[in-house]
Amino acid sequence: MGRQDFREKCVAERESTYQTMNVTTYYSLPALLLAGRQKAAEKTVVSFDLFDTLLIRRIHDPDLVKLPVARYIARLARSVGVACHQHRVQELRDTIEKRHRLETGQRFVDQEACYPRFMEELLRHIFAAQYSPELLAQVTDYELTMENSMLVVRDPFKVWMEELFRQGKRLFIISDMYLPAMHLRRLVDHAGIEPYVEAVISSADTFLAKASGKAFAMIAEKYGLAPQDWLHVGDNPISDGLRPVEMGIEALVLSDVGEAQRKSLVKRYYNYSDGKPFWRGRVLQQLMAPLEGEDRPQSSLYREGYTFLGTIIGLFVQEVARHCLEKGIRKIFFLSREGWTFKRYWEQAMPLLYPEGGLPEIEYLYVSRMALAGASCAYQGLTKANADIVFLPTGNRDFRDVCRIFALEIDPLLPHLQRYQLEADSALSPAHQGYTPNNRQMFDALLEDRSFQEEVRRQTRIANEAAVRYFESVGLFAHDHIALVDIGWLGTIQRFLFETIAHRPDCPTCHGLLFGATRGIPYPEGGKNLLRGIVYDRYRFDFAASVIIYAQDIFEEACRAPHPTLNGYRLTETGAELEFRKVDDDIGKAEVEQDNYFAPLQQGIFDSAGRFAAAAALLGYQLEDCRGWMNYMLVSKLAFPTAREVADIRHLHHLDDFHGGRKPQAGLTLGPVPLWRERPWKLKFHPWLRLRHFLGHLRGRINQ
Amino acid sequence: MKRIVTALYDLQGQGIFRLARLALLGKYLPIGNLQGGPGARCLGVLLFLHYLGYPFYLLLARHGHRLQALRRRLRR
Repeated sequence: MGRQDFREKCVAERESTYQTMNVTTYYSLPALLLAGRQKAAEKTVVSFDLFDTLLIRRIHDPDLVKLPVARYIARLARSVGVACHQHRVQELRDTIEKRHRLETGQRFVDQEACYPRFMEELLRHIFAAQYSPELLAQVTDYELTMENSMLVVRDPFKVWMEELFRQGKRLFIISDMYLPAMHLRRLVDHAGIEPYVEAVISSADTFLAKASGKAFAMIAEKYGLAPQDWLHVGDNPISDGLRPVEMGIEALVLSDVGEAQRKSLVKRYYNYSDGKPFWRGRVLQQLMAPLEGEDRPQSSLYREGYTFLGTIIGLFVQEVARHCLEKGIRKIFFLSREGWTFKRYWEQAMPLLYPEGGLPEIEYLYVSRMALAGASCAYQGLTKANADIVFLPTGNRDFRDVCRIFALEIDPLLPHLQRYQLEADSALSPAHQGYTPNNRQMFDALLEDRSFQEEVRRQTRIANEAAVRYFESVGLFAHDHIALVDIGWLGTIQRFLFETIAHRPDCPTCHGLLFGATRGIPYPEGGKNLLRGIVYDRYRFDFAASVIIYAQDIFEEACRAPHPTLNGYRLTETGAELEFRKVDDDIGKAEVEQDNYFAPLQQGIFDSAGRFAAAAALLGYQLEDCRGWMNYMLVSKLAFPTAREVADIRHLHHLDDFHGGRKPQAGLTLGPVPLWRERPWKLKFHPWLRLRHFLGHLRGRINQ
Repeated sequence: MKRIVTALYDLQGQGIFRLARLALLGKYLPIGNLQGGPGARCLGVLLFLHYLGYPFYLLLARHGHRLQALRRRLRR
């Protein structure tokens, strides 16, 4: 029997009656709704319990939502010079709340507490003279935001409420909760069910709760409700079952087995993450996962964007924030074009992760290797390291490619080449026919020629001035320390950028933060020019993370901004203008096609940002906590992907002006075919293909 | 078109079986820093809860009250 059949059978056998209480319990939501619709036809009033009935929590234990609030209060306290650790805040909150409940218990049957009262007392205790009503409002706002991020409305209930509302029934929401009705209304409003409800009633306002049944009597009197016309729906067999029945109200109790299973799983993931750090990333993902109506059928690209790339980018962006706060960096520049995705993710995630603020300013910086390469030569000339970068891609062959990349006019440079027995077409890349080591030696000698370098500097001075003007306009020189966030891989953009501005006395210290630093050629680190790979760095041995090399283009394509690449900067009377690449040629069209193909993937990444932030804020986990799980995801998805995953995520095009279009000599560049470039049938049927590639990768890293 | 979360409350494309397979490979091959890995017991419990959790909790919901005496005794 399939799982669905089994569930249906369970739904069919749904009812189990408490003989003594005369309360009917339903073990699935469809069963309860079926009965509820029949019974509600005879009633004029329907009331609902709120938590675990209309709204379900992503987390198994509602008290866990209090932890980020304690952390937030501790941070606020620290910002005004009060030392109070988050555990102490939580301890104080529990103590004060408990005392409030005991005091209420002396005057009422129910031992209830009221959030604004005990929270005010807590804040007064911690902040003493620095307490203000605005502080209470600020903390309450964050607590409700966290609650909202963890609560999900049950769609079938929402639909039923709408039906009941249209039928003219009076609908109430009754909750035994420390949050007063005005706060609950915010949760109900966020869930989208507020318009259907006549009143939201909380035990925190009157200290009359459902648990004792006093709430039902009070509501009946206040709103003039007749018990025989009243149907109540909830999840607690006593508060939502026995008590209303005692009052003569018909009650339906939901004991949702599916929910019990889900919560039990979350509980295990959460508990395991305490002792086994590997599970931290998994519990983070479990809390990020969409629930109920949020989880619509989506394409495989969207799902990969949400669960795989979204989580890793979230951890990366969170680490960027942590690093900048630790180093006192006050401005972050997200470098085009991948930085566009990181910036957008940042904007969605950071308000929940850092509610107290204090984060660096952020800015999107229009840069590209092509735009900066020329500008970088204006003072230092064309260095050997930069010239070597040109010949890393096999599509570049000779001096013409050097000129194309560094925006140099070739004619004035030809006499210099001739002095070194070189021509514009002399092959300088070993991947091309005609290459001789002598050509390269002569080229290296040319790079040391003073008159050649003077001509290079002369030609690139205007490009440098335009770039510097643009950087001035975005405030790049306004800070002593700035972070430059980019996808990777060699750090070429930062290299060119730093060399463009290094001559200025106000040149800031540039902290390069790359998603992955593969460091194909050594980066000139030191002084004001720093570089660090966050998810992967070749200088930090992390074998699992190194599998990023399997398919690094995917990350690049997935994060790319939907605008063409920057070709350069043009000087104007008032400053500098950006010059973008045209999109009507083959490369431009291929990029647009690729962008359209990956649009669902990007949407998945952005949709995950808010939920990632809520889950990370609740759990208090950062990248280092989740590194084990992240590494597992990388190995599993990149080194051992399914054939379907490769077919779906593999990019259609990855083209770049920097790479050139020359055809290398046959046989010279043919290494082993990368796993992600293997033919589909091989990926599907070859049993040892992934293992063979993995062993090859392992050998490569060990020999590195 | 599929949902992100499966009917077993697992993540689509990142299921517990896939993890178990890689964890098994990790016993014989170095696959990198997994911060100690998942652990066989944790994996076993999660496999059970993902795949057999529903009938188990259904049984518990319907007849769990009969186990109260046993639970009390175990607690003691």
